[in-house]
Amino acid sequence: MPPVLPAGDCIIEAAGLGKTYGTQRALRDVTVQVPRGTIGLLGPNGAGKSTFIKCLLNLETPTTGSAKVLGVDIRAANRASREKVGYSPEQDCHIAGMAGCEYVTYCGQLSGMPFRQARQRTHEILDLVGMGQERYRLVDTYSTGMKQRVKLAQALVHDPEVVFLDEPTNGLDPSGREHILKLIGSLWRDLGISVVMCSHLLRDIERVCDRVMIIGHGRLLEHDSIVGLKARHRRIVEIAPARDTERFQAAFAGAGLTVVKLSNGKLRVESASDSIEWVLELMRTHDLPPAEIVSNPDALHELFIKSISADHG
Amino acid sequence: MDSPAQTLDLSRWRERPLGVGYRRWVIVVAGLRELFRTRFAKFLLSVAWSAGLMIALAGFAFSQSLAEGGWLQTLAIKAGPRMEAMFTVVTGLVAMYPDVLVNGVFTAVFWAHSYLGLWLSLLALSSVVPQLITRDRSSNALIVYLSRPLTSTDYLLGKLGIIVGVLVLVWTGPLLVGWLLSMLFATDRDFIVYSFEPLLRALAFNGIALVALASLALGVSALVRRPQLTVAIWMVMWIGLGTVAQPPRAPAWIKRTSITRNLNEVRQEFFRLDAALTDAGAKLPLLDQRFIGNLNGAAKKAEAADFDGALLGLGVMAVLSSWVFFRKLRPE
Repeated sequence: MPPVLPAGDCIIEAAGLGKTYGTQRALRDVTVQVPRGTIGLLGPNGAGKSTFIKCLLNLETPTTGSAKVLGVDIRAANRASREKVGYSPEQDCHIAGMAGCEYVTYCGQLSGMPFRQARQRTHEILDLVGMGQERYRLVDTYSTGMKQRVKLAQALVHDPEVVFLDEPTNGLDPSGREHILKLIGSLWRDLGISVVMCSHLLRDIERVCDRVMIIGHGRLLEHDSIVGLKARHRRIVEIAPARDTERFQAAFAGAGLTVVKLSNGKLRVESASDSIEWVLELMRTHDLPPAEIVSNPDALHELFIKSISADHG
Repeated sequence: MDSPAQTLDLSRWRERPLGVGYRRWVIVVAGLRELFRTRFAKFLLSVAWSAGLMIALAGFAFSQSLAEGGWLQTLAIKAGPRMEAMFTVVTGLVAMYPDVLVNGVFTAVFWAHSYLGLWLSLLALSSVVPQLITRDRSSNALIVYLSRPLTSTDYLLGKLGIIVGVLVLVWTGPLLVGWLLSMLFATDRDFIVYSFEPLLRALAFNGIALVALASLALGVSALVRRPQLTVAIWMVMWIGLGTVAQPPRAPAWIKRTSITRNLNEVRQEFFRLDAALTDAGAKLPLLDQRFIGNLNGAAKKAEAADFDGALLGLGVMAVLSSWVFFRKLRPE
């Protein structure tokens, strides 16, 4: 259990939060304190991730429990709890008949920005998300990637303190995805905007987030920093030798280590520590050729599978 | 490589956000701006304000009847002694019976204008109805509104504001401005005093129509997610039920399902054109019995036949519509 944080340091404080639809319990007794930063929300389809976010945004009324966003009670102060919050939902949510620029400005105004400031920030944010002249076109005509960008822009236009992003890289081409991931990563680092990012792409979460929450069957299964989670995980080193794979295998086996050859030619070895110094030492001793070495390559994936399996069990 | 946020000079916005009233107003303005981009809406607007101008002109011309040496008198003199005599009689009657004539003429003008105003409003709302809630539901834009510091009530008030805006622009605005302009050039205080009551009646009817139309429009708009279907339902509610309620022998409950018929009943009750006509027949001198009989006949036709039933019909419609739109919006 993570230590109790001072109220000001938390972006989310939930106590026994639950949501039931008829007989189905979408969210069960979620109690969590989430500090500022970039937080990944993981879980299989239908696990309750989106319900959790919707409850926090009051888009769904929680059946049980209470929650605070940025220290503001979501039920007692409905409007105020969303004043400094941005949300980019998974599905399209544009307003038909509006140009991109007009749409984002309108969203800024809906958050209480005067028109002039909203328009100025709209242009800055649209530059930030990588939209050019397309901003003057109707949103209805946008490609999926452009809709994704404009959705992110509307979530950021009013300069929120925390932004909830539901699958923000869906539909983006590789360069667009790269750009948006860099942007999301920089939001907390450079602008101090906390991010709660919901994604099924574990590598995106691992790359961008410093904390992870895993939700399964409506329950919070894990909540820790990425570093903390990796430390609890069995250490794996993946080695991609330039040549002489057999010699590598023999050297590891000779050192008493379990080595598995993967279908892509890489070798997977269980390690005693996070450091790869011992691998380098072994390669020097056996005069092995150069190799690409990756420590804990799929730690989050394995942990995710483990958590979900444990929940099923 | 620098992160995107570092490469751009992103200004921070740390000012206190404007209040909820402003945010609701933003919804209203955006909705009206979108509506009046279309040629159809601009055409409706021009017809509505032309009607407002006609009210002003009619009021101005009527007030000239009491202007000594005014252009109406000059015209009558030019037209010959017969017209001059008629003008003198009319002037005398207006001066002697302002409560009957000024009140009666303005009641008739506002009554006639209410037909045009209602018709223009219904036409304008046909364009607005899909934009109110239907489109926001179908494109998930509702989430954009409700994930911001707005409640579903704020959202509904914003949408209601669009309907109010439409009615003010095509009905109430031209009516008020027309009356004000005519009063600016009025030659006698009596015109202001005795036209004020008909104006208040017209505004009261306007208010009732606003509530009825707004609740129905919001209800219809929230009912389905396809804009074309919304327009079709609106047309059925307006024209379809209006036609069904037309036959005089149609059952009362069928008649009460028509918003136009119900509003027509409310109009007759509020304007009291029947009272104005009966009053004119009873009080004005120099009228022959046949003319008085015609006035009484017209008064009979202008009477409200089922005012309570119409109010009940409008009330049920408003309650049902409210139930629909509150149910279809996500909880706060």
